[in-house]
Amino acid sequence: MKPEDAVAAARAEVARRKAEGGYAESGGELTIEPMDQVSRAMLMEWALVEPDMDKLRSTRRLGGPITWLKRLLARGLQQYHNEVNYQQTRFNIHVLRKLIELEDRVERVERREP
Amino acid sequence: MNVHQLLSGAGPVDAVTNQARAYRRLFSEWGWGGGDHAVHVDPRAGRDFSPLAKLDPGPEDVLLFHFSAYAPKLAEWLDRPQRKLLVSHNITPARWFWDFEPMTAVQCTIGREQLPRFAQGVDLAAGVSAYNAAELADAGARETAVVPILVDRARLGAPRPDGEEVSGPPHVLFVGRITPHKRHDLLIRAFALYRREHAPDARLMLVGEPLTPGYGEAIRALGERLAPGAVAIESMLSSDQLADRWRAAHVFVCLSEHEGFCIPLLEAFHFGVPVVARAIGGIPEVAGDAVLLLDQPDPALVAELIHLAVSDAGLRGELRGRGRARLEVFEFARTAAKLRESVDRAAGSV
Repeated sequence: MKPEDAVAAARAEVARRKAEGGYAESGGELTIEPMDQVSRAMLMEWALVEPDMDKLRSTRRLGGPITWLKRLLARGLQQYHNEVNYQQTRFNIHVLRKLIELEDRVERVERREP
Repeated sequence: MNVHQLLSGAGPVDAVTNQARAYRRLFSEWGWGGGDHAVHVDPRAGRDFSPLAKLDPGPEDVLLFHFSAYAPKLAEWLDRPQRKLLVSHNITPARWFWDFEPMTAVQCTIGREQLPRFAQGVDLAAGVSAYNAAELADAGARETAVVPILVDRARLGAPRPDGEEVSGPPHVLFVGRITPHKRHDLLIRAFALYRREHAPDARLMLVGEPLTPGYGEAIRALGERLAPGAVAIESMLSSDQLADRWRAAHVFVCLSEHEGFCIPLLEAFHFGVPVVARAIGGIPEVAGDAVLLLDQPDPALVAELIHLAVSDAGLRGELRGRGRARLEVFEFARTAAKLRESVDRAAGSV
């Protein structure tokens, strides 16, 4: 069979088998549907917690060694901070999603008013 | 010439990092200098990448941006005076991630919001496919080009000798990250139908990193429910192990909803594995006439095409031959020449 003919042949065979009771699908719990997001780019950007290590510094005179120590401590605690950031970001994102859903509902209600 | 590559993240196994490494090997062969820099450098990425903060380009150097998702600190470099080239690796629409991994959805959303800024902020914007390049043009790029993904066949491993068919029960293969838009769920449904209607001993191999452990588990559970004991999920395979999976496969099936290029198609052509795929995104231009393409992935139709691709020797042979021809279109030296031409264009030297 030529590749160009394969899809048509497969379609015909599916139709034939279905007519004989074949190809009954058996479902499965997992369903994947795309969800169109609302564009609120800046809020989303802020919702992501990503501390800038460059901003971790000492503002004292001759604070270089303190800056170094602070950054060393932050690196040592990175695993913990990653977890905190993740939890905070997860919360932010879900609140943002709720907010966007509410905005949409308000918009729908407003559209119905004269 | 010095070409500096800028990435949002450099990791141990991700496609963009690998592509940047392949670019650097070529740049070195061409006698070009420069360094590779990323906002986030995973320690497992080795010493090939430096933090972006350490980049200090000269005025004549070229900045090559690899863009694949949210990249806040990368955008600042668009304001630099150097000549710039963007290579856009395609951003998956966020709608596939909201339900399963909101963080990724946010990164994709912001990435898509940022795309016009990147497309307009460079001297040349290159997509990995014409499909991608069209997106860049829509985003306002002044000039666009197509630079396909570099696939070095020498690194893939040896295919089966010519004429040697794979033996044993049918093995259906899919290689790709286990994420919602890749539609492993559809593939498992189609595979379950294929097993029931044609090959009760068939097996499905899914090779890829799950988006999250939970999502990987959901896919595993679906496989266990619809085709008990017949669906295997494997992650973090070495290149030798991956080559073994390809050599054991009778057919490669891709029902993804979104693909900018789809490297596994070229891998399938290399290993002589027939392909059934959905005609989506960049897939048709990579596939050419060498793939059984579907507009709508009806599971029963996919199952029947799997059966044809496994059992019809003439069809398998024809698809293999056409696949080899497609490999020539995406041959390494040809793609490397396109890359070089694009860098030269961005640098203003042609």
